Amino acid sequence: MRTEHIKYSLMDYITDHLDEYDRDQVRLHLQQCSECQNHYNELIAAYDALRHTQKVLPSPAYYSTILPRVQERLMGHRDSLWSDRKITSRLILPFAVSALLLILLIRTPSDFSSGHEQTDALFQAVKDYSADEVVQAVSNEYAGSSVLSNQEVVSEGIAEHLQGDHFIREALMKQIESDEIVDMDIEGVLSGLNREQAEQLLSGLTGREML
Amino acid sequence: MSVSNDLELVESFQKGNEASFNELVRRYQEKVYWIAHRFVNDHDQADDIVQEVFLKVYRALNDFRGDSGVYTWLYRITVNVSLNTIRKQRIKDFLRIDELFDYPSEESERPDKQYEQREQKQLIEEAIQRLPEKQKAVFILRYYEELPYEDISKILKTTIGGLKANYFHAVKKIGEFVNRAHRAH
Repeated sequence: MRTEHIKYSLMDYITDHLDEYDRDQVRLHLQQCSECQNHYNELIAAYDALRHTQKVLPSPAYYSTILPRVQERLMGHRDSLWSDRKITSRLILPFAVSALLLILLIRTPSDFSSGHEQTDALFQAVKDYSADEVVQAVSNEYAGSSVLSNQEVVSEGIAEHLQGDHFIREALMKQIESDEIVDMDIEGVLSGLNREQAEQLLSGLTGREML
Repeated sequence: MSVSNDLELVESFQKGNEASFNELVRRYQEKVYWIAHRFVNDHDQADDIVQEVFLKVYRALNDFRGDSGVYTWLYRITVNVSLNTIRKQRIKDFLRIDELFDYPSEESERPDKQYEQREQKQLIEEAIQRLPEKQKAVFILRYYEELPYEDISKILKTTIGGLKANYFHAVKKIGEFVNRAHRAH
């Protein structure tokens, strides 16, 4: 096994989750690699500390309350479906309106400025009413990095160049509601917002289905 | 009466047998609660997550086609709902309405300030809560749930190599956090 592979197998070695062959490989490697031995010592210390944590169990009676409460909430299922639709239209409509306004703004003489190509790319993205594409376009134009890996730069780029908080909100919602689980620096993203924008983001999040 | 497997329960539900959903809830409620609690470290929030997960399951059950195992699908929903709860909480904290939710401020979370009153267990819980969300998800599913990497890979849609790296870094960060607290003490 390569050193990198050994390193990432150390925790499974410690918790005895490796088969016999891999276990021997790790053991032999540790005898001759000081770097991995250091990692091993650190992980062993962490593992010792982790053993202080215990499974937190609620009272057995708690579990008998789950199903009745789920069923109770399902009784209002049709109502909630209706309200979900209302929320969606409430959020999409202003976004579409702001996109249209932006298209009109972009079609002003600023089209002939030095930023013509960038504006043109944004115009193409906005035309499709897709927050994903808007974010991607801004990301490509101004940050040169992927949406998920550099949210702060992207949100700053949107704020600076589009000056439209709808786009900030939509972009952040897309990231926060994303089905993908990412190492997101949410505090970093939030630091680029004012209170009103954060409140809008929160209200959008609490009113939307994620999956 | 024979015990149905998960997929049989789903198919039975899709044919109109609502009782199959109830059986799925009974079968998985402890697992869902336990994972949720690991994410949020709070009973009330974990309870909210459990409710939300099973509501989502109920609404999506008719569309389930068995592309993944039922439990993989259910774990994925649980992880997503848990992470979304944490994200909402962070925004609430950011808006400084945290006094309503009894969350400690950044200042009071510093290990050197409170270590004297804190037991090792609390320190570990705090270290876990501070992990980036992907590392936290991998850590919980691997260390506590002892799920095979193949299953975690399906739940988190991440390569096995990536999972192993996340697991390694998660445990290292927990160790480093505890070490810093000890040194500060």
